[in-house]
Amino acid sequence: MINIVSCFKWVIDEAYVRATSSGQIDLESVDYKISDYDRNAIEEAVIIKEKYGGDVTAVTVGSPEASKSIKNALSRGPDRAYFINDTSFADLEPSQTAAILADVIGAQIKYDLIICGEGSSDLYARQIGPRLAHKLGIPCICFVQKLEIKDNQIIAERRVEAGIEIITVPMPALVTVLSDINSPRVPGLKDTLAASKKPVVNIGKQDLSGNYDPKLETRETRAASLKRSCVKFGSEAQDVSGFVQALLKAGAIR
Amino acid sequence: MDFRLNEEQELIRSNMREFALKYVEPIAAEIDENARYPKEVIEKLADGGWMGMPFPTEYGGQGTDYLTYAIAVEELSRSCAATGFTMSVHTSLASMPINNYGNEEQKKKYLTPLAKGEHIGAFALTEPGAGTDVGAATTTALLDGDEYILNGTKTFCSNGPVADTFVTFAWTDKSAGPKGLSSFIIPKGTPGLTVGNHFMKMGIRASQTSEVVFKNCRVPKANLLGAEGSGMKIAMNCLDHGRIGIAAQAAGILQAALDESVSYSKQRIQFGKPISKNQAVQWWLVDMATDLNACRFMTYHAGWTKDQGQPFTKEASMAKLFCSEAVMKHTIKAVQIHGGYGYMKGVKVERLMRDAKITEIYEGSSEAQRMTIAGSILR
Repeated sequence: MINIVSCFKWVIDEAYVRATSSGQIDLESVDYKISDYDRNAIEEAVIIKEKYGGDVTAVTVGSPEASKSIKNALSRGPDRAYFINDTSFADLEPSQTAAILADVIGAQIKYDLIICGEGSSDLYARQIGPRLAHKLGIPCICFVQKLEIKDNQIIAERRVEAGIEIITVPMPALVTVLSDINSPRVPGLKDTLAASKKPVVNIGKQDLSGNYDPKLETRETRAASLKRSCVKFGSEAQDVSGFVQALLKAGAIR
Repeated sequence: MDFRLNEEQELIRSNMREFALKYVEPIAAEIDENARYPKEVIEKLADGGWMGMPFPTEYGGQGTDYLTYAIAVEELSRSCAATGFTMSVHTSLASMPINNYGNEEQKKKYLTPLAKGEHIGAFALTEPGAGTDVGAATTTALLDGDEYILNGTKTFCSNGPVADTFVTFAWTDKSAGPKGLSSFIIPKGTPGLTVGNHFMKMGIRASQTSEVVFKNCRVPKANLLGAEGSGMKIAMNCLDHGRIGIAAQAAGILQAALDESVSYSKQRIQFGKPISKNQAVQWWLVDMATDLNACRFMTYHAGWTKDQGQPFTKEASMAKLFCSEAVMKHTIKAVQIHGGYGYMKGVKVERLMRDAKITEIYEGSSEAQRMTIAGSILR
């Protein structure tokens, strides 16, 4: 019986993000989704539960509007959810989210294995996993593409630049997973209806005692823009210098 | 008055969308081209509980309301109208009458495997000489001891070639007028039941349609659905339910036409600018989006009315009439927006336009809907 916690984030679906003509990001008509890698995290938790026996708790931190994410996550297989929410939790930094998660998970949730997505679809800062493991004082394995449990040990296959690294750690531990680890299932109607009957623990700011001050200051957010231009050059040897000059002028080379 | 869907309905919509995008959208053009029944998708729908949405859990269903079912048909049809229709016929025309008129034994024996999606249901009402004019049907069912003997030919039977269970209609007493029509449950393999080959159609080609012939087909008395003589009432009740499904299907096709048209018109450059900058194209898109909004509200309202336990014949007819005519009108425009590309096989709007046409014809043509609605307003 393995107690598994999977953390997830409710993010803007990037397919709906538009840039305005003045270069601002238009979030007027966006839709939200569970962050892509976090779907893999939830799926892996459910796979491990099905394979080895256990119990899955899904946890998220966000604004009260993220309440939609709870049933969505539960329809993907976890047994219960913790919804840590406050109006001030809308755009938290990774350090804040990790600190809040650590306080709640550390004090209230039994865990042998915590699974996080490698990074979120919106910020992709890749900090929640390592920061959370650090605060809980447990081992952390990142870039995991395969996971097994044997004799109360986690055997994780990490994809690193030079190849594949296989690591064994005792539980409890935290892993962050890549999208290759599994193909998340599509919840059926039965799963969706069952989600409504699963327990949800709501935790507000007043239930937390920590200090979660931000460390970053966001000055401005702007849409990325790609300017294209088309210049034609001849194919003779002497045309090369013209091409180089054009690249220098455009700042593409120095 | 609250126009919002609840959180569960929203999630069911989004999970059906996820299902359709993963399993249906990628094969929709292929199953249309080959007129292939997507057995693998129907099995996945059954696994997920989608094939028996509005039926009680004790009979293998999921116990959702009818509005929620309409939302699921809409989202599935947005990716493939033929798959959406397969689910809709199975649910509202074949399983619904057994749910509404079947006795305990019939519900256990026939509704349960249908609602679980282990069996597929078909509805055999139309005959070569009896379409909108149901009374012109000639199929008979003569009582002989403990059995009825059915003789006659049904046509355009949706899901026929793949069905395990048929709900059909035959005269037990032709002299009694409409009160002489009765309804029967016929399992596949019953001696005397022959299912013809899949007809090639203009649209919804992956939905399987065939002739069904009864030749001295003997069924036990226990397969009579409802009382003898209640066939017309059962048929009309099924069609009322079915029409909400067709309205939802049409709304799904229209949403797909709008999605494709918006996306294409923003990419297609002519005279140095995207064609979406042309007022003519904008107005077509606006009319499409506006009618789509109306389609949704009419369909959901009809579903909601049924869920309230109120009469919904008029609402279902109006929704079906409006949605089917709107989707036909706008899929023609969607092809127009795509120009020559829209006329090409493999481009989604080409299929959408062909699929749209049937919604004006089956489960009561637009003219039949107008007759029904006229009857209710001129009462």
